[in-house]
Amino acid sequence: MKKFMTLLVKEIRELITKQLVVSLVLMMALFYFIGTITRSEAQRAAGKQKISVYDLDRSPLSGQLVGGLETMNFQVAKVQAADTAAAVSEAKNSETNVLLVIPQGFGDAVSRSASMNVETYTFLRNFSVMGARTSGLLRAVVSAINNVLSDNVLKEKIPGADPQSLKNPIKTKDFIVIKSRMAEGSAALIAGFVSSQSMLIPVILMMIIIYSSQMVISAIAMEKQNKTLETLLTVPISRASIVAAKMLAAGLAGLLSAAIYMLGFRNYMSGLTGDIASAPGVSQVVQKLGLALDAKALVLLGVSLFFAILCALAMATILGVLAEDFRSAQSLIMPMVFLVMIPYFITLFTDVKSLSLPVKVLVLAIPFSHPFLATQNIFLENYGAVWFGILYMAVLFTVLVVIAARIFSSDKVLTMKLRWGKKKKTVF
Amino acid sequence: MSIVLKVEGLKKRYGQLEAVKGIDFEVGHGEIFALIGPNGAGKTTTLRIVATLLSVSDGTVRLFEYDLKTNPEKFRERISYLPEEAGAYRNLKGRDYLKFMASFYADTPAKSQEFVTLAEQITGLGPRLADKVGTYSKGMVRKLLLARALMTRPALAILDEPTSGLDVINSLEVREIIKRFAREGISVLLSSHNMLEIEFLSDRVALIDKGLILDSGTPKSLKEKYQAENLETVFRSALR
Repeated sequence: MKKFMTLLVKEIRELITKQLVVSLVLMMALFYFIGTITRSEAQRAAGKQKISVYDLDRSPLSGQLVGGLETMNFQVAKVQAADTAAAVSEAKNSETNVLLVIPQGFGDAVSRSASMNVETYTFLRNFSVMGARTSGLLRAVVSAINNVLSDNVLKEKIPGADPQSLKNPIKTKDFIVIKSRMAEGSAALIAGFVSSQSMLIPVILMMIIIYSSQMVISAIAMEKQNKTLETLLTVPISRASIVAAKMLAAGLAGLLSAAIYMLGFRNYMSGLTGDIASAPGVSQVVQKLGLALDAKALVLLGVSLFFAILCALAMATILGVLAEDFRSAQSLIMPMVFLVMIPYFITLFTDVKSLSLPVKVLVLAIPFSHPFLATQNIFLENYGAVWFGILYMAVLFTVLVVIAARIFSSDKVLTMKLRWGKKKKTVF
Repeated sequence: MSIVLKVEGLKKRYGQLEAVKGIDFEVGHGEIFALIGPNGAGKTTTLRIVATLLSVSDGTVRLFEYDLKTNPEKFRERISYLPEEAGAYRNLKGRDYLKFMASFYADTPAKSQEFVTLAEQITGLGPRLADKVGTYSKGMVRKLLLARALMTRPALAILDEPTSGLDVINSLEVREIIKRFAREGISVLLSSHNMLEIEFLSDRVALIDKGLILDSGTPKSLKEKYQAENLETVFRSALR
């Protein structure tokens, strides 16, 4: 055990270098910075929206319209200008993104129940996700105007009637049903929330697998390149311990890297999706439908992730033996990337259950598909599928470790080489 | 002289290719035994087999009473191997590298320190041992690796081209060190292209070509047999 620990410490020291720590800290700081900005932008977007209004009509009806907008979560800034061009110029230089121009004769036309054009000017200041909300704001303004005006007309024409009931005689009550659980709420909103929350898991998994695999392959390749492997293989420590120390060190380094990325990425994502979570009733509906990951679900997900990482490490160990040097190690990471990307995109865009049987078998044969599917299987109470995935990965890991240990205990650790475009030669 | 290593009928095949075709030799206690031959003769393959890196296709290799096929771990506890193109971990300091390697052979911290102290003397690197291996010259790395190979006083030191890449002064120092350790009872199995080195170091040599031992004996007896002035001529005559 002492020898193993000595080897493990050496492997960790080789992998967790100052360069890695600095890059992780910088990445964390970058994610934090971006997350803080997006969060403040999202909060601003969710708050009272500022709009500019240039009222050329100055009638009691246009005054009512402005008052109505103020009651509908808009902060109205009245523009005093000589003409529309000057009003546009003034609004453009202010903090508002939308200018509403109420034309002369607006009140008169509305009182005659005639259609009247109001002009809206949207100032697109950037093309980011947050910037795109401006177009949504414009739609909200027009809808609000129509609401205010139609309410006023209905109140005037049918005194005592509720304008909302007249305009929307049919009301819907939305329910979401998942297995045995049911809750009242918008399916689109909940689906958006769950998707935004579970999106984090595949991204983290992808990072861990790629990081850890790259570390194992590089560690073995570096031993070969620096000509230290032969010496290491002749010291009195079992080959299985050598393989295990490399895998464990890479796993720890991969987990550390992924944990730091996860924290940073979570901060970044909460900035983008925070408004969905804070939408009225979302958290209660999520709880009621069991769509929040509780402690048991997190443990199950963690076990699934853990076995996926172990499989990746074992595969990478076998691939690492094929590397001649650090450069060839970089190309050997590609099969691992493909094996991660295939289930990632399939689970992102389609339902695995809807695939044809051969494709489904192929996807499920990839060990990394199982943790990708684990979240939705947990949400849908398909615990059997989650346990099957874990069992499959455990068996596959055992097989891969046996293969890796056999390779390390044989000549192959020194003689196996992947030579692109060259005939395999044996050197003696 | 007791036998430390006994090789009988050793063969090594890579698929269809037979790199070693059935060789026999012994290395006695405190003896320096050298394999000499051209490139591709099977010297390094033989050394790698004895060092437990490659498997035996046929024949037996015994270290004391232990058979390589069944007890490779017993071999590893009693041998040390210096490959021709060896390196050390560049991120480790010289002394840390020695401590790291010593920890695999020592049962106690005191024993480990004893190995490191001996290695420090062998290297002669002094304060440079506090620097990272990545800053060392090729000669310094070679001395560090030789010290690593000898510090545990193995029963058998397997040295492949021990002075490879060293200048004249460093080569002389390394040869003296090997000679000194052999006098203290360490058996040495080495290979080299440098016939002067072989003649200076070896008690016995084996001439190997195309996977077969052509002849063996003390440098003196071989020179007498082939009526040659030096081992280079012996080697040329044996090849004919």
